[in-house]
Amino acid sequence: MNTRKQHLTYDLFLILATIAVLCIICFICMYGMVHFKAARIQLLPAPQKLLYLNHMNRLVAPFVIGLVFLIGICIPRRLLSDRRLMWANAGFIVLIFACGVWSGIRAALMVTLLVSLMLQSVVLVLAIAGSSRLKFETRNYWVRVGSCLIHLGLVLFVLDILSHNRPGLHTVLFVLTTVSSMVGMLLCFYAGPLADFLKLRREPNSGQSLDPCSENLTQKD
Amino acid sequence: MMTALLVLTVLLGGCAVVNLIKPGQTGHRRSVYVLTALNLCFVTGFFWICYLHYSIYRHLPLEISQQTADWINYHLAALNRKSAFAMPLYDTGHIPRYTLPLWIENEKYFFWFMCYALAALVTHIRSRHVRLNAIIALLLVPQSVILVAAADPFSTPLPGFFSEIAPWFKSGMPAAGQIGLFMRLYPRLVFYYNAVYMWLHPPMLFISYACITIMFAACLVMLFDHSPTVERTAYESAKPGFILLTVGMLFGYPWALQAWGPNWWWDPKICSSIIMWAVYGAYLHSRLYLHRSGMWKLTSALGILCFATLILTVLTSYYFPGQHTFQAP
Repeated sequence: MNTRKQHLTYDLFLILATIAVLCIICFICMYGMVHFKAARIQLLPAPQKLLYLNHMNRLVAPFVIGLVFLIGICIPRRLLSDRRLMWANAGFIVLIFACGVWSGIRAALMVTLLVSLMLQSVVLVLAIAGSSRLKFETRNYWVRVGSCLIHLGLVLFVLDILSHNRPGLHTVLFVLTTVSSMVGMLLCFYAGPLADFLKLRREPNSGQSLDPCSENLTQKD
Repeated sequence: MMTALLVLTVLLGGCAVVNLIKPGQTGHRRSVYVLTALNLCFVTGFFWICYLHYSIYRHLPLEISQQTADWINYHLAALNRKSAFAMPLYDTGHIPRYTLPLWIENEKYFFWFMCYALAALVTHIRSRHVRLNAIIALLLVPQSVILVAAADPFSTPLPGFFSEIAPWFKSGMPAAGQIGLFMRLYPRLVFYYNAVYMWLHPPMLFISYACITIMFAACLVMLFDHSPTVERTAYESAKPGFILLTVGMLFGYPWALQAWGPNWWWDPKICSSIIMWAVYGAYLHSRLYLHRSGMWKLTSALGILCFATLILTVLTSYYFPGQHTFQAP
């Protein structure tokens, strides 16, 4: 199996793992909805309502942590080769585990997010600079930058949720999250028209289709 | 207005059935003409709604005397000291007026279905897949029936809003009663009717719902037709839909935090919206691997599931209690 195929398999594995975690979160949400209605939570006094909220938070917490962790191991794959990636992920798991044991789950989550934020910022800067060292499935410049911005937005959003009780920080993170996600999605989805509009083709193989999915369709057809 | 809408929808439905059975460019052109007329009807109705809201802004101010304003401002200032989110004091120089969003009560369905009709017209013009266009047109029929039968915004406009403010405009109310009523109406005006979020959060979601419905129709066709054109149509409508859904939900987040505190996500409507967003995200991700075996069917199934979660999200407001509920208290 060549390196590109290995990367594709790794990418697919991460995507399937993300979908699986999202599915579990969906089922917990459905359980929450039914439980909310059946137990008439809206009519309960505040302390009992808080009990329900804490129960639901405890139920979903491992999967949200899993999602944050997936973001954590998803980001370095852009930077590192397969062998280094395995070592980096092993080191990352040890670091997070040590943090969790030493200072609790919240601190471990914070470290995961801050490391992810730092790495994602590096990936974004490299993507903007047009570095060919980054490992993406697509070679399109704008899709790469957009994808980096979307992942940065995700990390910032989880950080924002964790810092909701600090109004100043919350506002800054919220604005950054919204701008990053929106610009990222626009770049990813409309890379072709944008490149046509700007007439800025940074890639040598500019004749190729700009949409990674249409590349896939062409391969198939 | 609603009669014209219904007649045009029946005509469109007829064209769609013919196009489904016997696809042809003539039938497709007819369908485009009827859809254009239907869109004109929707846009005219929307202008009427805009005019109604402008009239409410002009003629129904929440006006009180200077003496009552001083008394209320004294108490509002006291309340603001204890509250995390301050309520603006009453300014007699700038009387508070209702800048009602154009998508409250029954108007939200009108706006949503108008967006769908516009999206359907755009798809009709851009795509030459007659059967797909026929299914998209057929989906307008239940929407128009819902509008006419259960959500007509023209026969009795804004019934909830008018019943809420009607006592304020009755003459002969004692001063104490007026103050009590004002303290009920003023926070609703500030935090709901005139809230900036109401101009961003709901319309973005309704436009994304329209896009999801187009995507659903295309994914339905994808199950039987392995056509890249249809897949392309699904993706083209999924893109703006996902951007608007994500940003619309993000805009709701600080509002929810203000209104309900840090545990806002366990409201049933928000739970179902998160489910919809997750399924939508899964659809877009699975589409990246469309060339792999089995992914075509999975992608189209996820697109259909996304629409099912959209219906669940809408029905949640009717069948589940919570902050977004339409149930009577």
